[in-house]
Amino acid sequence: MPRLPPSVFWRARREISPMAAQLLPACRDLESAANELRWIRQHVRDTRSPIPPELRIWKLVEKRGRGVPLQYVLGTQPFGDLEIKCKPGVLIPRPETEAYTLYLASLLCKDQALSTTPPPSLSILDLCTGTACIPLLLLHALQRYPSLSQTSLYAHGIDISRHAVRLARLNQAHNNHLLSAPSSSSISNHVDNNPKLNFTQASIFSPNLLPILQSHSPQWDVLTCNPPYISASGFRRDTARAVRNYEPRLALIPDAQLAGLASQCKCQPEDVFYARVLEMAAVLQPRRVVLEVGGWAQALRVVDMLSEELMALYRTVEIWRDEPGAGEGRKREVVEFGGREVRVRGEGMGRVVYLYQGTEEGG
Amino acid sequence: MLRQLSSLPLLFRPAGPLHRYHGSLIARFTTTTPASLKQLPPRPKPPPESEIEESFLKGSGPGGQKINKTNSAVQLRHIPTGIVVKSQATRSRSQNRKIARELLAARLDELINGTQSRTAIVSEVKKKRAASKAKKSRRKYRKLAGEKGREEKNEEEEEEEGEEEEGQEEARLHEVEGKTKTTESNNAQQTQATPQGNETR
Ligand SMILES: C[S@@+](CC[C@H](N)C(=O)[O-])C[C@H]1O[C@@H](n2cnc3c(N)ncnc32)[C@H](O)[C@@H]1O
Repeated sequence: MPRLPPSVFWRARREISPMAAQLLPACRDLESAANELRWIRQHVRDTRSPIPPELRIWKLVEKRGRGVPLQYVLGTQPFGDLEIKCKPGVLIPRPETEAYTLYLASLLCKDQALSTTPPPSLSILDLCTGTACIPLLLLHALQRYPSLSQTSLYAHGIDISRHAVRLARLNQAHNNHLLSAPSSSSISNHVDNNPKLNFTQASIFSPNLLPILQSHSPQWDVLTCNPPYISASGFRRDTARAVRNYEPRLALIPDAQLAGLASQCKCQPEDVFYARVLEMAAVLQPRRVVLEVGGWAQALRVVDMLSEELMALYRTVEIWRDEPGAGEGRKREVVEFGGREVRVRGEGMGRVVYLYQGTEEGG
Repeated sequence: MLRQLSSLPLLFRPAGPLHRYHGSLIARFTTTTPASLKQLPPRPKPPPESEIEESFLKGSGPGGQKINKTNSAVQLRHIPTGIVVKSQATRSRSQNRKIARELLAARLDELINGTQSRTAIVSEVKKKRAASKAKKSRRKYRKLAGEKGREEKNEEEEEEEGEEEEGQEEARLHEVEGKTKTTESNNAQQTQATPQGNETR
């Protein structure tokens, strides 16, 4: 990373505050240094501590200035309307993940609005769940939707990491008040309709997992997965220093031992999780599958990994960009792939491969 | 262009009954500068989503797992007028989207209603209030110096009454101020990119 010129530090000190100058090495520009300093101050104002506020601010600025991600420094990251707790050892939720999760929620709501009878239940399986940001935001968004008020929502998160599963449960408790159904529906005296959410600590490669998941739900509606997808060279080459130094490798790069599997399934080492998840999808046959990917090339490789069986099962195959909802109705982008039309939605980098057993409403 | 602007208010008039909108307009013309915040026009409503182009500002690069910047900035462009607003007030993108829409509504209100816009009226009220405060402290000073006049005393009583009424609204005004201040000083800029109708005013 290039060194910042001394003039920027001068300006930060003069125009904002000496503490902004201290944040600069991590923030890289004046605007974000000013923003982060303001957020650190707000955080100190909004949380209690026996330590004097000025000292706390100074400590947090020092930590952030050393390069620790702000989310670990403050302990949280907003995600939709939720606040997700973040701790070292578990990946910080990304804005791209937030964007497609909200988009997915809007699709599910639209789907419900079109069907004449609301389904009795809707189940979500999130593999590699980390902080549980994805199932929590989905449940929160769906639960507020009027036409789903009679539907019982259920989600299950899987992660190999003990730290992740513990943090996932903590986040469930932390956001519990935002997950309960709106009070109006309780008047109609229905069975407890609050969404249910469970977590299991397991490797998605474990052969025991599939039968367990089948016993949890005979038919999963949604399977989401944001697996480790960075290659060893990509990790060295274009992964930010704060990510490399402070976020868990387990969450970012597929395990080297698993990479051995890659040669068996004839895919690149960084794609090995997709091979497994698609294998699971062929067994569980969820109505929708949402896989986060690291860019356009990886998105195409994942589409290429679809077996004939899966191609027949999923009538809709799409690639979503960073902002899947952007530019809706203004343009239509399509790529041809193996004789199949793959719709490309939104703007930005290739971010998601989306499979759906039905055909999408509203072209 | 002129015609386009004059038809503009119709595009983002609040969805509620029209007469209410007119009502508030008339009220604004009769009381040129309301002394109390109670007379403030309602907060303007943002234009429909179909007139908004939204973008999320973030650096170039691969994004996703490889980067963990806190890029929560939201930029809106109002397609009919070209007005651009930006908010990075909070760490939450959802929150910034809401704030940016409020900002845009305020900019449009200023464009259409000018000195009768909510923003202009709020700042007018604030100016008056500051002036009256200054006057009062001067008077207090004089009072101490022992040159209090009868007439002045009556005036003062009246004012004090008004002040109390305003007190309740104080918090609300501060909220407005806080929002605009944050947005201006450090995180949201509003750029009026080619406001096509500027020459009409
Ligand atoms: C990129 S993170 C995604 C976290 C979260 N879903 C999100 O979007 O922010 C990948 C997660 O996969 C987990 N993981 C890694 N290997 C795994 C495996 N074999 N089975 C299950 N989870 C695994 C990691 O612990 C990490 O929490």
